[in-house]
Amino acid sequence: MATLTSTPEALEAGTPSGAELPDFSSETYKDAYSRINAIVIEGEQEAHDNYVAIGTLLPDQAEELAKLARMELKHMKGFTACANNLGVTADMPFAKEFFSPLHGNFQKALAEGKVTTCLLIQAILIEAFAISAYHIYIPVADPFARKITEGVVKDEYTHLNYGQEWLKANLDHVREELEQANRENLPLVRKMLEQVASDAAVLHMDQEDLMADFLSSYQEALMDIGFTGREIARMAAAALVG
Amino acid sequence: MFGLIGHSTSFEEARVKARSLGYGEFADGDLDMWCSAPPQLVERVQVTSRTGKVIEGAYIDSVFVPEMLRRFKTAKRKVLKAMELAQKSGIDITALGGFTSIIFEDMNLLREERVSAVELDWQRFTTGNTHTAWVICQQVETNAPRLGIDLARAKVAVVGASGDIGSAVCRWLQRRGVGELLLVARRPQPLIDLQESLGEGRILDLADALPEADVVVWVASLPQSLQIDTGSLRKPCLMIDGGYPKNLDSKAAAPGVHVLKGGIVEFWQDIGWQMMEVAEMAKPQRQMFACFAEAMLLDFEGIHTNFSWGRNNITLDAMDLIGAASLRHGFRSLELDPALAPSPSLAPA
Repeated sequence: MATLTSTPEALEAGTPSGAELPDFSSETYKDAYSRINAIVIEGEQEAHDNYVAIGTLLPDQAEELAKLARMELKHMKGFTACANNLGVTADMPFAKEFFSPLHGNFQKALAEGKVTTCLLIQAILIEAFAISAYHIYIPVADPFARKITEGVVKDEYTHLNYGQEWLKANLDHVREELEQANRENLPLVRKMLEQVASDAAVLHMDQEDLMADFLSSYQEALMDIGFTGREIARMAAAALVG
Repeated sequence: MFGLIGHSTSFEEARVKARSLGYGEFADGDLDMWCSAPPQLVERVQVTSRTGKVIEGAYIDSVFVPEMLRRFKTAKRKVLKAMELAQKSGIDITALGGFTSIIFEDMNLLREERVSAVELDWQRFTTGNTHTAWVICQQVETNAPRLGIDLARAKVAVVGASGDIGSAVCRWLQRRGVGELLLVARRPQPLIDLQESLGEGRILDLADALPEADVVVWVASLPQSLQIDTGSLRKPCLMIDGGYPKNLDSKAAAPGVHVLKGGIVEFWQDIGWQMMEVAEMAKPQRQMFACFAEAMLLDFEGIHTNFSWGRNNITLDAMDLIGAASLRHGFRSLELDPALAPSPSLAPA
């Protein structure tokens, strides 16, 4: 089936050089940036609100969660500065709309007191996605944004870790809810990614890279929580198939 | 703990394998889905050396298939992510199998040690090329005499001579002593450099080398368009198919031409794994690529370092060391079927 044998030449011919930087001052770049940056700002704002909200479901953890929430606000300010630096106005209405399905699912779970679902949405899905997106962004970011984003990524790992630890400790009781929440929310992440693929491409961020990196982080988190490789593959397929 | 990073030989085959391993969703996915899918640690095994020493290992499928080779970024990411998973899984020494090491080298991934948050520690990986080169040399030395070929007088063509494995094979055969080394490769300059460093060997085009050679060692991937005029080959002719993928037998099948899968070893007992079923080994419970076996050998020997790394760094000392370990722990190089060899009386015990 495969054209196996002509490949070494192909590899040599196509050896890619380092990532090429986009023209940060072009109108096309700024236009795309206005939406991507808005998503990031909105994402950090929602993260803040979500951690505070989760604190109401886990009163004994409220202090820790409030700390995470404060970090997200700090990130938001950083990313706002990135937009100012490029002379871009973030398209916040777009971002609000962008997050609304996931926002809706979180609010619904919150109202029902489903802490597992809330944690999966915020502390696992959104954090894993943010970490991956920031990683893909860093090599092609403008120098100002690069520095800010590098700082943010470090924090986000601690947030991902927070969700992981809680779910791991409670896996026996939460497994079913986690799987259900995965089914309902993972496809949303994929749709969100597809929605911004063309804008991300202008920023030299490749859709496949984003998806692959996200799935790696997500898989790793689920592995840590205690799912097996096959279970995870089944869960991750919700983002990939259909 | 040792690790093996492998992949399926085609997308079609990968889907079948995914289904059999219980990854039904992957089996149903299309190539785009596979491109985004993360690597999987699919199997853990325990291997016992002939010496009695027991080691643990893991097989990681990079979820790469050769159909992705033209998607450079995908191929690159697949390799690096699989290595990242090996490292995060706490594996001490992992061999890069199949296209994994080819991609790693050709795309110069040494520059890319940082994958997301993980800094890859090169000490934990080996291409396995030292063992592969040693095994190929064993295969030449064991099987040529069986066909009545006297190596001391034979012309041995090495196709891909300037590559990592090819140059090691040349050095080994030079030390052993063969009639003449015929050096073949696509790019002229590395060949000239090799000839200079050896102080011997004749540089030839493939078409000119083949009719002269009693033994041909293939350690380059064959161009699809390659046609071998089997009528012009010497008889007998021993061909060691050491490239990847192994597809020489279909191109060089003729009476008197003996094609042997190169760089394959057989373990002294069944391993009890599923993964080699798909690598088209005749005895998947015992046979495997020599590069994989190198990771096991290094773990058996407690040599947790990148034993084979970079290009053209393989020394004869290293080949001697890994060769001795290979025999000690119960590996044997794949041989021609004794029934096919014309001089059964020469078959070793």
